[in-house]
Amino acid sequence: MSNQLSRRSVLGRIGAAVAGLLAAPAARAAKAAVQKVFVTSGAPKAYDPAKHEWRMAIDANRCIGCGLCAEACKTENHVPAGPYFRTWIERYIIAKPKPDSGEARGKVFVDSPNGGMHGFPELPVSKEEIQHSFFVPKLCNLCERSPCTQVCPVGATFDAPDGAVLIDPHYCIGCGFCIQACPYGCRFFSPLTKTAEKCTLCYHRITRGLKPACVEVCPTQARIFGDLRQALPDGPLQQFYQNNLVQALKPHLGTEPRVFYAGIDKEVR
Amino acid sequence: MPPQVFRICVLAVGIVGSYLVARYFLTPSSFGQYGWYRGEALAELAAREPVYAGKKECEVCHSDEYQKLIKHEHKTLSCEGCHGPGQAHSDNPRKDNIEKSSFAACLRCHEANPSRPKFQKQITIKNHYTGSKCTECHVPHVPLEVP
Repeated sequence: MSNQLSRRSVLGRIGAAVAGLLAAPAARAAKAAVQKVFVTSGAPKAYDPAKHEWRMAIDANRCIGCGLCAEACKTENHVPAGPYFRTWIERYIIAKPKPDSGEARGKVFVDSPNGGMHGFPELPVSKEEIQHSFFVPKLCNLCERSPCTQVCPVGATFDAPDGAVLIDPHYCIGCGFCIQACPYGCRFFSPLTKTAEKCTLCYHRITRGLKPACVEVCPTQARIFGDLRQALPDGPLQQFYQNNLVQALKPHLGTEPRVFYAGIDKEVR
Repeated sequence: MPPQVFRICVLAVGIVGSYLVARYFLTPSSFGQYGWYRGEALAELAAREPVYAGKKECEVCHSDEYQKLIKHEHKTLSCEGCHGPGQAHSDNPRKDNIEKSSFAACLRCHEANPSRPKFQKQITIKNHYTGSKCTECHVPHVPLEVP
């Protein structure tokens, strides 16, 4: 035994063991250094997404088309000026059918001038010719089976555990697949960031306990926002589900939207 | 083992090994925390500062006006709907970083439009009033009161 354990071999083994012990932290330090260069880190926050299940609901019966929501969204989220909207209001006008035409409903007009931000001035039809007319606020439908996340080639858009469908701006390469995949037209290509953008449910607000900007400014409570996991039985969201017959947009596509609408007509898509 | 097979094996191990090393160093540490995406993206999206402060924030200093508002017909209105975004004003209360509401804010909701629901009180401005101050006859925070 003693002739096998020479001084040189013992020192060699100790050296190897120390090198082995040092290698793991050195690799970790090197990894951290590399990630600092290639991957930006975010500010950690005391918010657990697994403890929330956010929902937005729209009561179109109450929408007066004032456009405050669309304007507040632009301001709050620094959405570029021009035809870019994370939320907007559509006006539906269903004309009376022509006499003796044998039709139940006349022509349908849909418009959203400047997203409805500054109101809906001139009517395409005279007041007497209108059978029904109403406003429909639109936003990301927060699909449970969202086509946009399925088509993203780089994993930049995802379904967060709290019900928000979000985009990682550092991963988005701006290919635009998601913009084409969204059946509700809720995404756009931002000329400022050169990435896809969409409604985040005002993620920076809801994680601080505030309401999304559009819900905050809505004067008639046409937009209802709440949390299903921290539910109050008489909360506005629960009251909305209780008191209304609701529907989702384009249910035949199987996208399972989380946003439910009350008071919309069959023409709304 | 024939030398050409040995060399191709070494090459294969080298390629796979360099891929594993690159993946180890380049995959963000939070990738896979919640799913097939970077978990830190949630915190990054949440890090931005709000622009609208919320109605509760206004109550801190303007509790008298706030109490009037929530007890009358305009109770569902947000302060920032008429007065504009208020986070800057809340952080540093000054007279010049919050809007004074105007005529346009009233008309935005109350101008007659056949698409509006029937419950909404609507006026046709040229038949209703020709001046420029709704506040001559109406108090915005207490709508049915005459000044």
